[in-house]
Amino acid sequence: MTTTVTASGLGLRYGGTRALDDVSLRLTPGVTGLLGPNGAGKTTLLRVLATAVPADRGSFTVLGHDPGTSRGRHQVRRSLGYLPQTPGLHPDFSAFEFVDYVAILKELTDRTARHREVRRVLEEVDLGDVRGRRIKKLSGGMRQRVALAAALVGDPGFLVLDEPTVGLDPEQRMRFRELIAGAGEGRTVLLSTHQTEDVAMLCHRVLVMARGRILFAGTPAELTARAAGRVWSSTERAPGAKAGWRTGTGSFRNVGDPPADAELLEPTLEDGYLLTLDDVSAEAAA
Amino acid sequence: MVEVGRRRSGVSRGLVVAVGRTVPWRVVGVGAVVGLLVVWLPRLLGGTPDAWLGLNLLRAAALVFALGLAFLLDDPARRLTTPVPTRRWARTGLRVALVTPVAAVWWTAALLLVPAQSRPPVGPVTLEAGATAALALAAACVVVRFTEEPEPGASVAAGLLTFALLAPALIPSRWDLFVPVGDPAWAAAHVRWAAVLTAAVVTAVLCAPEPVRSLRSLRAAS
Amino acid sequence: MSVLTETAAGTAVHEKDPRPSWAAVVALARFEARDLLRYLPVAATLLLYVGWTAWTLFHSKDGMDAYPALQDVDRDTQTGPLLLGIALFVCVNRCTLRSRRRGTDRQFDVLVMEPWRRTVAHVLSLVPFAAVTALVVLGEFTRQALRPGAVGHGSPAELAVGPLYVLLCGALGVLLARLVPTVFAAPVAVIGLVVLSVFVSAGTGGAEWSRWLSPVVDEVSGTTVLPSDLLGRPAAWHTLYLTGLILLVALGAVLASGGRGRYVQIGAAGALVLTLVGAVAQSRGVSPELAAARERASVTPQRDQSCVRRAGSTYCAFPEWTGRADDWARVVDRVRSLAGGTAARQPLLVRQRVEARYGLDGDSAIPALTTPGQVTVGTRWGGNRVPEFAVGVASVLVTGAESKGGELCDGRVVTVMWLVLGGSAQPLTDLADVRLDDSVTGSASVLAPTDGLSMSAAQTDVVRELLDRPRDEVTAAVRRNWTGLTAPGVTTARVAQLLGVKAPEGAKDCAGE
Repeated sequence: MTTTVTASGLGLRYGGTRALDDVSLRLTPGVTGLLGPNGAGKTTLLRVLATAVPADRGSFTVLGHDPGTSRGRHQVRRSLGYLPQTPGLHPDFSAFEFVDYVAILKELTDRTARHREVRRVLEEVDLGDVRGRRIKKLSGGMRQRVALAAALVGDPGFLVLDEPTVGLDPEQRMRFRELIAGAGEGRTVLLSTHQTEDVAMLCHRVLVMARGRILFAGTPAELTARAAGRVWSSTERAPGAKAGWRTGTGSFRNVGDPPADAELLEPTLEDGYLLTLDDVSAEAAA
Repeated sequence: MVEVGRRRSGVSRGLVVAVGRTVPWRVVGVGAVVGLLVVWLPRLLGGTPDAWLGLNLLRAAALVFALGLAFLLDDPARRLTTPVPTRRWARTGLRVALVTPVAAVWWTAALLLVPAQSRPPVGPVTLEAGATAALALAAACVVVRFTEEPEPGASVAAGLLTFALLAPALIPSRWDLFVPVGDPAWAAAHVRWAAVLTAAVVTAVLCAPEPVRSLRSLRAAS
Repeated sequence: MSVLTETAAGTAVHEKDPRPSWAAVVALARFEARDLLRYLPVAATLLLYVGWTAWTLFHSKDGMDAYPALQDVDRDTQTGPLLLGIALFVCVNRCTLRSRRRGTDRQFDVLVMEPWRRTVAHVLSLVPFAAVTALVVLGEFTRQALRPGAVGHGSPAELAVGPLYVLLCGALGVLLARLVPTVFAAPVAVIGLVVLSVFVSAGTGGAEWSRWLSPVVDEVSGTTVLPSDLLGRPAAWHTLYLTGLILLVALGAVLASGGRGRYVQIGAAGALVLTLVGAVAQSRGVSPELAAARERASVTPQRDQSCVRRAGSTYCAFPEWTGRADDWARVVDRVRSLAGGTAARQPLLVRQRVEARYGLDGDSAIPALTTPGQVTVGTRWGGNRVPEFAVGVASVLVTGAESKGGELCDGRVVTVMWLVLGGSAQPLTDLADVRLDDSVTGSASVLAPTDGLSMSAAQTDVVRELLDRPRDEVTAAVRRNWTGLTAPGVTTARVAQLLGVKAPEGAKDCAGE
């Protein structure tokens, strides 16, 4: 598969903290998930890749353009869709007007084609019926979808989504997954999230980040495989477990290093993710 | 990728209209109206201001209008609109260009509201008003350039007001800017006003483009 | 008061105690006060206020600063926090609108602390700033009161105006935020209020009622120093008015943010009454009793004064100034020691006089005394006032009466000026100080507590010549020729000749140069 986004040695400091520490990655068409605890540097990485903030060191290219120059950044932005974590919106605009405004800023100058495109993305995010309503009258989920529509408008080749499913109800989240999965067909989508099931269901690749570094890059299956043989069931709380909780059946589900005679369970992506984070903090402590 | 619409760089009619809608017209309008009220007040009360009052009313009006202009670069959707192909200087420049004719009409009205006999020399006082407005815009540009604040207007307006109130007290008399009409220092003061205007415009222009590199990487490179 | 004793700051309202927790309001107020300091306008103006006040207290340029009248010092503390108040107005307004601006209203509106109690906290967050202002004001006043030359009495009501002004500004900022919920309103309102106050005072011709509506009421002239009982400033009523206004504005803000409690409404009504009582009482103007007292002090000051004797002379002063007799006596003795004839032993009556009939705004001259041997001294002292008094003493010694000094233009001017300057440590500085244009050459008017005199260029030359020569020699010559020097109509040329100085050419006295 062709590589659409490559980054090498990206670094960014905020005051004394290293938000990004020598981050290198390659993205291919399809949805790539970005997992990590709070403060891992996910949003910073997304903002750098979306050209919203320049990195201190390192370089990256998007669809063959280098955003390290004014011209290159301009080229990147022409094929970019970005949904920030807390998107600001003009509350007095209608949904249509706002997306149209962003479309104009994305240099879609042909009026008829642009309006058709705005209507298309609003339909796509299921806001066709309320496109004339002012944003301040919309619900939280609807606002989130207006922002997604603004990111999708102009059919960008590279889509950066920062926790788009936060605050949505299960049905809306399901609808969002559909949208993102659809957007991932033929495009490169980088999706930051806390929801491991989002990654499991949507992504063909996954990155795990902590403390400004990429800890894991691979397929969701590979991440899940990291927990193979490290999830087991017991009747009592196991002392050696990194994490353990009583499940609905009354037995304990434990993640960590199992005793010899343990009854092993099928691992999930979340188990792999937790163990990846845990291995690194154990390394750091050692 | 589907090609939607024709893409071309530069300023289109659609862009002018769209950016025009995002200009905080309400705040600029309130500044303009209050500014006119300030100048109109003596007529409202049935008096005729003297030359000193006429000059200072126009200064106060220019300051009020500039306080409105401090909000010109406010963009609640800044996080979303930063990574768009339309360049920041184009968006900023367009906002300034859209508000300039309004400012010109407003200032003419303000001048006309001051009775002719108490109206200060139009050229110099226009220079003062222009420099005040340019200072507000330059301050807004600086905040936008160096912070990620989407709506810097309130801070800029508060700062400008504090500066305007402190300046007469703090500026040493040999660099005085606030000179009454007929004072021997009038001409020299307006050379200084021109310098303020130039400095403000240069600052605004320098801060208008979006930085491609971070400050730290520039420092590391040099 | 029982609610105030609850100290659990961190805990919310409990089921067992449904009353609102005031400790939480205080805690929020402390947080907001700390936040206010982070605003550049507040930090800058606060620093400037404290720094500037400290600087002026310890670096006084004018000699008169060493002899402050405390009834004026108290008033001078009011203009210092002017900018701080404006900065607080704007920034408290922003603080109050913060949660609305950042869209956190939706979260905060469901919190235990209702919006109206948050408004109370915003108003209370100003108290530390008022306290700092009060400390600065007290420091300023104490420093002046501790100066050895200080006289008079300060008024606590005048001292309270500075801190009250700061509180009022902040409360107005909170009220504005609750009425017009946009951050743009405050900066515009500042300009609007300033312009409006200029117009109200201009439109009403500076009438007493409109003048006193402004929180800080300055006096126009500022050069007249009156005994404290003749000031005629309704300072106490003004303090009541300000207090009422602050309460009214603060409770108005509470009402505007949904505080509908009975006590709030009663409090607001009470504050309105206080404000109105203060506003009416402070605009009554000068009472007939005060006008009579001012008339008496101006025309027949001896009725109010007490006198002390020092070295044969009598010094009569208003009660607040009796301590200054020694300063005056030093000048009188110095001048008289240079004189000759009977003048060297002549007892003088130094009478303190003031023109009080036009109040603090008045800036009128005091007419000279006609009784022989009487000298006028004003209510201000130090700096230029000292050599000016010496001019008054010397002209009485030379001409016999103060009223004759004003007509003086002949050669006797030289003698007068020698008496003034001959005993001085820095005669040239004193010469420049008493002359209207601060010159030391050419002709000029010379100031005195009552009518001044005028020096021709020739007289100035002779005086300068005398100052260059040994003092004992000149003093001896003056004593020897006293009768000739003080004869009415003596020419400058003759005086120069008597004192052994080269007579200036073409000198014409009393020619109206």
